[in-house]
Amino acid sequence: MDIKECYAKMGGNYDDVMSRLRTDERIKKFLLKVAEDKSFDNLCDAMSVHNIEEAFRAAHTLKGVCSNLSITRMYETASAMTEALRGKTEFSDEWLPLLEKLKTDYANTVECIRAID
Amino acid sequence: MNKTNISSKKKILIVDDSELNRSLLSDMLADDFDIIEAENGVQAVVTLQEHELDISLMLLDIVMPEMDGFDVLAMMNKRGWIKTIPVIMISAETGSSYIDRAYDLGAVDYISRPFDERTVKHRVMSNFMLALKQKELSDMLSAEIYEREHDNRLMVEILSHIVEFRNGESGLHILHVSTFTDMILKRLLKITDKYKLTQADINTIVNASALHDIGKMSVPESILNKPGRLTKEEFEIMKLHTVEGEKLLNNIPYRSSETLITVACEICRWHHERYNGNGYPDGLMGDAIPISAQAVALADVYDALTSKRVYKDSFTHEKAVEMIQNGECGAFNPLLLKCLTDIQAELKKELKETSYGRDIDKKVGENVESMLKKSGSDVSERTIRLLEHERMKYRFFAGLSHEVMFEYVPEPEMIILSEWGAEYLGLPERIVDPAKSDLGTRVFSKVDFNRMMTHMRATTPENPRIEDKFLLTINGERRWNRIIVQTLWSGDENPEFDGALGKFVDVNDETQEMQQLEQKADYDSLTGLMNHAAAKRKITKLLSDAGGRKYALLFFDLDNLKTANDVYGHLFGDKLLKEVAARMMKNTRSSDICARMGGDEFIIFMEYKESLEHQVARIFKCLTKPLDDFNVSVSMGVARAEHYCGDYDTLFHMADQAAYAVKYGGKNSYKFYSNTDADQVDKQ
Repeated sequence: MDIKECYAKMGGNYDDVMSRLRTDERIKKFLLKVAEDKSFDNLCDAMSVHNIEEAFRAAHTLKGVCSNLSITRMYETASAMTEALRGKTEFSDEWLPLLEKLKTDYANTVECIRAID
Repeated sequence: MNKTNISSKKKILIVDDSELNRSLLSDMLADDFDIIEAENGVQAVVTLQEHELDISLMLLDIVMPEMDGFDVLAMMNKRGWIKTIPVIMISAETGSSYIDRAYDLGAVDYISRPFDERTVKHRVMSNFMLALKQKELSDMLSAEIYEREHDNRLMVEILSHIVEFRNGESGLHILHVSTFTDMILKRLLKITDKYKLTQADINTIVNASALHDIGKMSVPESILNKPGRLTKEEFEIMKLHTVEGEKLLNNIPYRSSETLITVACEICRWHHERYNGNGYPDGLMGDAIPISAQAVALADVYDALTSKRVYKDSFTHEKAVEMIQNGECGAFNPLLLKCLTDIQAELKKELKETSYGRDIDKKVGENVESMLKKSGSDVSERTIRLLEHERMKYRFFAGLSHEVMFEYVPEPEMIILSEWGAEYLGLPERIVDPAKSDLGTRVFSKVDFNRMMTHMRATTPENPRIEDKFLLTINGERRWNRIIVQTLWSGDENPEFDGALGKFVDVNDETQEMQQLEQKADYDSLTGLMNHAAAKRKITKLLSDAGGRKYALLFFDLDNLKTANDVYGHLFGDKLLKEVAARMMKNTRSSDICARMGGDEFIIFMEYKESLEHQVARIFKCLTKPLDDFNVSVSMGVARAEHYCGDYDTLFHMADQAAYAVKYGGKNSYKFYSNTDADQVDKQ
């Protein structure tokens, strides 16, 4: 699968990322880093121990990463997660469906990235 | 964007908690800049501390762990870095309150995510070029101010020299008067705010003081240089130099409103007024005389007294001060007289040292500094070069000396070790939050480290030095080190604590040697037990710190040492003593104290819990086992420190009395002290 197909499959915007990062080579280099990025793990860990401040930071970072690489689908979920957590101090079960959605998006995204030639 | 303007690559600091974001930015900028990365606010500040002068621009994320972007900006404001390092914020946060806050804190621009390569490059480059231009301009400005100030000062010096030459004075008079005026006024600023003087005012007065005798141009040379006493008429002419000087300056076209001229006029006219109203030309009294003229008058008189003139010899510093204080030479403001007393030591030194060129440079330096402060640009290329030079010097010497040197920075709190020192201690060069680091918890014990920090904080600008000895753990080895620390203070009127410098000196070998010597002096050479003096010292200390602990003192002597010596020879006698010592050591704990008092007398001082009787019985039994068929026999007295709060001597006396009772009750036994022993002994 090439970069463009990968973007189509994981719900990203290839034209947008291309216009900003300029080369396929660079896009690929950073997509591979997404798969290694710790923010998603940090988010899951922080949510499991109800550390909201840390969860917010991790979601925020993940959102930034997605935004930089125009991974639109996951960006929107991460963005919703960030806003849900912003300024909160009490843990809420209402966030769990959003977290599940993010887990699905993440798994899907990483799978697509790993399938790049 | 013009790359040819950049001769060598400049450094950019990228601060973001996401590795991916950092490398993305670094990827975009690596062609044009050297990139340094930091993954949180604390790291950013540490990096700034290290590379302050090299960093051309900073990209800063907002949401980060440890210290966020706003905190970093706040710190940069506090340390003044924000003036020289342009900061571009980067964040996915586009809320206007975020952006406004960043701008308020001094950020120059804002790039929002997602990053676009062209935008990032363009913004970074244009902000970088802007800062570069600004710096060039400020360097040009400070160089120009420096030149101009230097020329001004030189003109004043030349002019006043002409006057001096004509007066036939030493040539140093003008210089002395400026220096003394400066010292007097600086002191005055410290002891009172009555005169509303600023450092800039003092600089002007000092400058203008050089012109105080310019009116002497109008006095005929025959009067000026007359060796004998002036006649009344001649003196009247001489007095005119005050008003003539003022007139001369006032007549300079278009310049009468310049501060330097106004102040110089005051000084010329009134530097012969007296605080009690008996001076000339106007007979002004008290603070009706401007403080500038008062200070110059005092400096003038002091220098006149301490210099040789055609009509007089020079007086010593002490005599001159005495004459001024007694009112023999004019009348002065009591506050200024106090200043004169306060600065005596420095004055005396200055009197010896003042030389010409050094002084011009010092004054020009001070003036440029105060002008630059006013105009707001505070780091010129010149200053940076000087700083860099100092750093190189420091590194060079630190590298040569093979000693651990360090710098303490109070905010953010860190200790910076010299390269060699860091390697020797097995620690990083930069140690953030030192009290919690390996340095503050392992190399030093926590208690020692706190003690050092407490001492350091208790220093003052007058007493900035501390020295102390610590037992450090360096790579697993315990070594004594002497730590010498010099605290640093800001150089202005109200000095503030500004960190410290210091070094470790390994004194392990000499300390150990000293301890060995001490040990030798404390121990009996035959038995290896402690001697009486050392035991007494230790026991006294234990008793005073006893708290709830219970102690007992066992005193005994050998009943038959003399027989052993007589029958088996002195070698056996020595053997017996050594054996007894060995048995004592074997049957007591290391925390107990065993000592030989001298001759055949010994003591054991020990702690006990419940049954002292049992312990004593066991020790007695072991001591009295036969040695090579020789029956060892001892008379032992035991005194408890429990229920008693006297000193060692009392306790010893009690045990001694009990032992005495045993001796006279048939020997080879032990006995606990009771009051009746005392009676028995008295009866004997």
